[in-house]
Amino acid sequence: MLRSESVLKMFAAAGLALAGWAAPAAAADATKVALVPGGPHPYFAAWEKAGQDAMKDFKLGAADYRVPQKWELSQQNSLLESLLSQGYNAFLVFPGDPVGSNSTVAELTENGAPVIATAGCLKEPTTALFCFGTDTGNSAYLGTKELIKAMGGKGRIVHLTGFLVDPNTQLRIDAVEKAAKETNGAVSVVQVIADIDAPEPAEEKINAYLAAHANDVDGIVTTAWVPAVVASNALRKIGDKRIKMVGIDHDEVVLKAIKDGYVNGTMLQNPYGQGYIGSYALDRIRNGCKVKAGAPFKTIALTNRFIDSGTVYADKDAVDNYVGSMQAITKKIFADFASTYLTCP
Amino acid sequence: MNAPTSVEGAAMAESEPPARDDGLSQKGAPGWTRFLLTNEFGLVTLIVIFGAVFALGTPGFSSPFNLFTLGRTMAIDIMIGFSMMVVIVTGGLNLSVGAIGVCVAIGCGWLLEVAGAPLALAIFAALALGAALGALNGVLIVRSGLHSFIITLATMSVFFGLMLFLTHANAYRQVPLEFSAFGKMRFAGYLSPLLLVSIAIGLLLAGLYRFTPLGREMLAAGAKAAAAELSGVRVGRTIVICHALSGVLAGIAAVMVVARTGAAIPQMAGNLGQDWLLPAFLGPVLGGTLLAGGRASVLGTFLGAALVSELTNGLLQFRIGEFWVQTWLGLLLLLAVLMDLARRSFLARRGV
Repeated sequence: MLRSESVLKMFAAAGLALAGWAAPAAAADATKVALVPGGPHPYFAAWEKAGQDAMKDFKLGAADYRVPQKWELSQQNSLLESLLSQGYNAFLVFPGDPVGSNSTVAELTENGAPVIATAGCLKEPTTALFCFGTDTGNSAYLGTKELIKAMGGKGRIVHLTGFLVDPNTQLRIDAVEKAAKETNGAVSVVQVIADIDAPEPAEEKINAYLAAHANDVDGIVTTAWVPAVVASNALRKIGDKRIKMVGIDHDEVVLKAIKDGYVNGTMLQNPYGQGYIGSYALDRIRNGCKVKAGAPFKTIALTNRFIDSGTVYADKDAVDNYVGSMQAITKKIFADFASTYLTCP
Repeated sequence: MNAPTSVEGAAMAESEPPARDDGLSQKGAPGWTRFLLTNEFGLVTLIVIFGAVFALGTPGFSSPFNLFTLGRTMAIDIMIGFSMMVVIVTGGLNLSVGAIGVCVAIGCGWLLEVAGAPLALAIFAALALGAALGALNGVLIVRSGLHSFIITLATMSVFFGLMLFLTHANAYRQVPLEFSAFGKMRFAGYLSPLLLVSIAIGLLLAGLYRFTPLGREMLAAGAKAAAAELSGVRVGRTIVICHALSGVLAGIAAVMVVARTGAAIPQMAGNLGQDWLLPAFLGPVLGGTLLAGGRASVLGTFLGAALVSELTNGLLQFRIGEFWVQTWLGLLLLLAVLMDLARRSFLARRGV
């Protein structure tokens, strides 16, 4: 049986140990950026390196990648509130919910911390400076056009996509439909399988569908990370390369499948550029710059203050240099970002 | 204080397992020792110790903004814990607390935005919806004779699915400004009024169990249904009322979330409302509410939920790595339970 005195000593030791891990506070006026995704997802892994590079290049107090332990709005809200209490004073946030995150974002900005909605947008009205992410509808449209080209301009498409509660999903569904309709009936979308941007449902639904209907399908377009990985593996198993596919993002499985000819290409997004340029923009804002009135923002379904972080199609010839492609996009956007979107004293 | 009825006495005696039957060991002890031996005192001690460790270890923990957000989170977790506690009292479970909560939130949002109902009416009607869904759970359980686990597992999907079907997963954000301002309001810079609401409801629940025949019937029905039936308690009706109450309490938690986020959103409690299940169980179980039924500790549930919220907040403040929070939370909760055991053992040796 534990004696109470020894238990108390143990507690004190644990407390001291935990206290020792608390990082020292940075200078009060330094920009401390927190890059906070909605939850763990491989798409956001590039944010960590982007934050580190931005901290070094722009001499920030911090630019730390902080991940909520689960995809829960409440978890993300708690983490954001905690980070503000810890002294972070600028935030790149992938909104856990385009509407429900607005309240927390408003609290951050009310406490003097500017916020950029990153990789996903907040629904207007919002106190976030702007939204900096992929034009998901355009990316899905361009990807589908590439797929139709690979299919020879005719055939039946299956669209594999993300969570229905994500407003981007409907935009992607509409964009794929739009590209198919432009063929005047030569191409049709025979099935949309949604809510599968997680390994278990993706494995179950994609494999079940292909087991039953592989012969009825000529092309697959995926507009979410996990379905792209699972579909790439499924086509490798089928092995005949009859079904054409255009994926999304840069998972190693997808890139290898492109090299080996099982997948035709992928629509690259630019998470590194989002983290790097976003951190830079927040630092400039904290140092007196303002968002330029009349800046050439795009308008999308959720907001009229949208900046496209770039998307590019990578096929077999371009896949080896996908890092270079993403860096080139970042460099291009960064070159005139301040002069295009900010007014500085 | 009212003398316990025979029904309540039977309920307490039947429901206490020997290993944790503090009532027996406390009978001969003086009043102050009995107080020190209570589960509630143990939780208060742990809350104070962890609070001191966190406050000394990280400057952000005791900042007014953090205390405010901690209180606000606590308030919601406490209400979720209450909504499960009132059903655990009957020896049952309600896995659909999250789904009912989401339905109430969406119902409230729809009434405000689409129907244009006044705020008070929208909240009242939404809570009535929560009561109706909870009562439906109760009726299905009583009529079918199946365990509440099975029934509420099924209704969790049914309620959530129907809500998605009717709303197409749309959020409602036309919440009156005064309502969302209530979620952001701070007293003295650090106290959330939502916490005061939770305290008020906790007092009402404590009054229900201690002073009303209905409360005692709930305890009796949970302790031993057959004995309660013989004593004149209408067990079936009591179970339906408990589930309806659970629906109302889950609804209040949901309305708090709407005030906090300024919108009613379908995924506020995760897919099928499952995100609410952990706080729903942690508060009552840490607080000493017996899963077998027949005993409720309102103060314990309050303190249990408060402890979990405090640990989560403190661990985030320590920046131990977000992925490690869950592991540390589990370890600290285990340590908390062991400390409580050591405290009871120590005091029992000294005081009895």
